[in-house]
Amino acid sequence: MTPPPELNFRPTSLGDAPALMQWLMDPKILQWFPMIDAREVEDAVRIWIGYSRLEAGLTAEWNGEPCGMANLYIQPYEKLNHTCLFSIIVREDMRGKGVGGALLKQLMQYAKEKFKIEILHLEVYESNPARKLYERFGFKPFGSQAHFIKENGKYLSKTFMQRQL
Amino acid sequence: MPEEPLDVDIRYTYLTDAPYLRDWLLQKEVQRWFPVSQDKEIEDATQCWVGFSRYNSSLTATVDHVPCGIGTLFLMPYKKVAHHCLFKLVVDPKYQRKGIGRELLKNLKHLAKTYFHLELMHIEVFEGNPFIHLLEEFDFHEFARQEKFVKESDRYFARILYQSYL
Repeated sequence: MTPPPELNFRPTSLGDAPALMQWLMDPKILQWFPMIDAREVEDAVRIWIGYSRLEAGLTAEWNGEPCGMANLYIQPYEKLNHTCLFSIIVREDMRGKGVGGALLKQLMQYAKEKFKIEILHLEVYESNPARKLYERFGFKPFGSQAHFIKENGKYLSKTFMQRQL
Repeated sequence: MPEEPLDVDIRYTYLTDAPYLRDWLLQKEVQRWFPVSQDKEIEDATQCWVGFSRYNSSLTATVDHVPCGIGTLFLMPYKKVAHHCLFKLVVDPKYQRKGIGRELLKNLKHLAKTYFHLELMHIEVFEGNPFIHLLEEFDFHEFARQEKFVKESDRYFARILYQSYL
């Protein structure tokens, strides 16, 4: 599928932190992440955006405005650096325009070409609709951790998925 | 003749235990079961690991006051996941197969449950690790197996994740 013409990609920069912080603070998005409040989100954003120093993040722009980000958490260990965990986020009001799929496709290509990554993996919580996107892109589950999230006395499991590039 | 049982003490880890941990991780027979292989990786992992001693979430086994093993609860930084944690455990190769790992694991589970009120703890091991037998004995069950997670000299090994309810 060709990405929409309004969409382009660039490496994530330190200056993308406020946009990422704002998107994550939306409860509809935050429910799919382990953070719960501004302090935790700030900490997670600092780690995520910190990978821009390695050029390991991609920012999607719609008509020049950031609308999504994806990050490769590059392994610090030589024995493991052929694999990589990633995160992806699409701005709530930009859902359903093909941004997530285009960003994931771009990230897979980027991971393989720039970092020689052989296997990409991800973690997704129970009921997260993004799982369908990962399945469409060939990610296969390799395990599930019961009771991973606990919020208001309710538990959610986490599924691990990976695919060879 | 059977060996004399070791007189093992378990205490909280001190930051000054770092050189012992570093020495164990530098040994190839230990490295095989951990992600580290380079000096810088070992140094970073050592500092991160013993850093949890600040929260009293790490235990050191000693024989004659000399550290021979460390087990650590890597407490989670976020509230939604603070009811469980990853843990790591290592025993000095000179003291392996003498019950030190068992003693550490027993005490670590107790610490996790009674002091930190954790509900679950999990660990990541590489395929073939003999520690798996002990995990199964302590009611850990496999919940994920990631093929090809480790690559060494062009050979791949799986990572297996085990979890236990407390």
